[in-house]
Amino acid sequence: MISAGIDVGSRTVKVVLWDHARRQVIDSAVADQGIDQDALAGRLLEELLARHGLARGDVRAIVATGYGRKLVSAADRAVTEITCQRWGVSHHVPEARTIVDIGGQDSKLIRLDGAGAVLDFAMNDRCAAGTGRFLEVVATRLGTRIGDLGGLADESRAPARISSMCVVFAETEIVGLLASGVAPADIVAGVQASIATRVAAMGGRTVEGPVVFTGGVALVPGMVGALESALGLPVRVAPDSQTTAALGAALLAVADV
Amino acid sequence: MTDPAEKITLDEWDHRYRELCCRGLREPDYGGSLRRHAEAGGDRRLLRLRMDNSAAALRLWNLLLSEEDRLHRARAEGKYLVGAMKDLGTVPVMAYALDNTIAFYPDGAWWTPCLMEHSEGLLALADRLGVDDSFCPVRAMVAALVDQKHFPVPDTLVCSVGATCDDMAAIAQRIDELGFPVFWWEIPHRRAAEPDEPAVELPDGFRAPAAQVEFVAGGLDRVRRHLEAETGQSLDDARLAAGIGRANHVRRLLARLRHFAYLGDPSPMPALEMMIAEILSIHFCSNWTETVAVLEDLLAEVRRRLVAGGGHGAPGTIRIYWVNPPADLRAMNLLEECGGRICGTDYMIAHALDPIPEDVPPLEALARAALADPLVGSTADRAARICREAEASEAEAVVVSRIPGASHCASEALLVGQNVGRRLGLPVLDLEVPPVLDAMEPTVRARLEALVETAVNRRHA
Repeated sequence: MISAGIDVGSRTVKVVLWDHARRQVIDSAVADQGIDQDALAGRLLEELLARHGLARGDVRAIVATGYGRKLVSAADRAVTEITCQRWGVSHHVPEARTIVDIGGQDSKLIRLDGAGAVLDFAMNDRCAAGTGRFLEVVATRLGTRIGDLGGLADESRAPARISSMCVVFAETEIVGLLASGVAPADIVAGVQASIATRVAAMGGRTVEGPVVFTGGVALVPGMVGALESALGLPVRVAPDSQTTAALGAALLAVADV
Repeated sequence: MTDPAEKITLDEWDHRYRELCCRGLREPDYGGSLRRHAEAGGDRRLLRLRMDNSAAALRLWNLLLSEEDRLHRARAEGKYLVGAMKDLGTVPVMAYALDNTIAFYPDGAWWTPCLMEHSEGLLALADRLGVDDSFCPVRAMVAALVDQKHFPVPDTLVCSVGATCDDMAAIAQRIDELGFPVFWWEIPHRRAAEPDEPAVELPDGFRAPAAQVEFVAGGLDRVRRHLEAETGQSLDDARLAAGIGRANHVRRLLARLRHFAYLGDPSPMPALEMMIAEILSIHFCSNWTETVAVLEDLLAEVRRRLVAGGGHGAPGTIRIYWVNPPADLRAMNLLEECGGRICGTDYMIAHALDPIPEDVPPLEALARAALADPLVGSTADRAARICREAEASEAEAVVVSRIPGASHCASEALLVGQNVGRRLGLPVLDLEVPPVLDAMEPTVRARLEALVETAVNRRHA
């Protein structure tokens, strides 16, 4: 039996095809977000199916997640990212006790019990200062690509302190730091530490390990180290961290059949 | 009128109102179609709400939304108007013990922009008066006092200070500076008695040092003498005791209503109407007699629905304990749209729901009630009460609704969450609700849906 999970995020759309009999991911795909999210999700699903010689009729159930989850007409039902992240992460790391998910425009911290059930969660979706958007802003300001930020951060000797609570004001602060001669590497490291600190604060005084890092920002070099420093715990990046929620959705779809 | 329970829009209420009238609906003088509040009264927020379809709910909404008219009429009739601030349920008990005296809460104006989607510009005016959006939406009362387009300026303003929010104290001081003199009385931070210190039990079960109760009773005695001097009436113990008796009558009615509404399955009365009903307890919406009638109607409707097995939502809906009133009433609709229902509440007026002791001198009784205010004690005390009630009401999750800018909200979500999580193991959602949440609705909805999903998964685990 084949199921599909579709994660319509703020920056990208992700699709995962799951083969339940073999208990493995058939394939996954990621595309930048567009205006017609339903059409984009449908097209991505079709492309993925075609790549494996499959048709829509071969997919028994589809669950959509992400902030645009209710826009996906192909889905049988919609489930929030909190639940889907839990299923996706538990598939890869059943012993996980904390999930940190940092996406393009939001971040979440999800606490799990020993059986992998969600105990509690905290979300930041009001402020870009704890999200991937902050990294995009700093990359643009420094005239570099987001993928090169990690290498730059590795060169830092004294990470800058970014004091602003708001990305808009932080950008002004970065301009000021550059003007005063602070090295771009130190600014990038400072921004990464700032994001990690904000996300760690959502966990309160105690965050239990193992901590699993998901979302597009987990792929940005340097962020894992920043998060480990902020949490004081080792952090594991989920395999295919960008598609964990979509995988969780595909796994949940199986339960619907 | 035993129609099935439904939640309906204002447009649907137009039709429903005509239908009820054709069937012989009898209304008080403030009755009428809800539409007039949106059109003539400017309460445009009603257009975004879904309301219960019962005649009892209609009467509740009309009582709530006609309060400003009632206050202006009282002023025209020469009644004395007391503007109580912050204590939420104590000074009005004293005021209503006097003849021809009405008490209300100008702080409640923060619900005005909530219902009006800022169409009256109260918050913008508050900005210009030096109380910007770094303060709690209670700041709307500064503008309402200055522009005088809402409630009449009270004959006296009586405000408790001390263990109050920073915002509230600053806003009340600004009101005083703007030429609206405030009569202050002090409410200290409630502390635990020392081991060898005499203590008394408060209505909520907590204990406070007898010295603190005596101190607050002294402050309330000053309020009594102030009201006597202002109104030219004697406010003796017999009158106060009668006032306490009337307040307790409302509180007992509310206790029965909450019991049936929050335990009934399916939910016999929506979260929104129940929240408004609870808030009637603090000053009876400027009319004690009608408050009693409204609560009796609601109670009768709830009982009818329970007997008929009707209500809102499916049986077995996830039970949510809700902390703090949301700045936008729409949040209560959203909770139910996301698959939750209310099973218990702490809208910061828990002390106004507990009966005031009737077996001690009246001022001491009022002092005990005032000291039971959940915001006067520590957040740990508040969390303890929330845990006790959440457990008793079989809550499956807790929402702590934060009011933007409100200083008491700054850390309580974290502290209440930690306490509830540790003691009951329930998921807790920290939810900031802006005064108009439309732009944030997807975000608020996603959080509530995630909470309900989490609770469903825990139930089935």
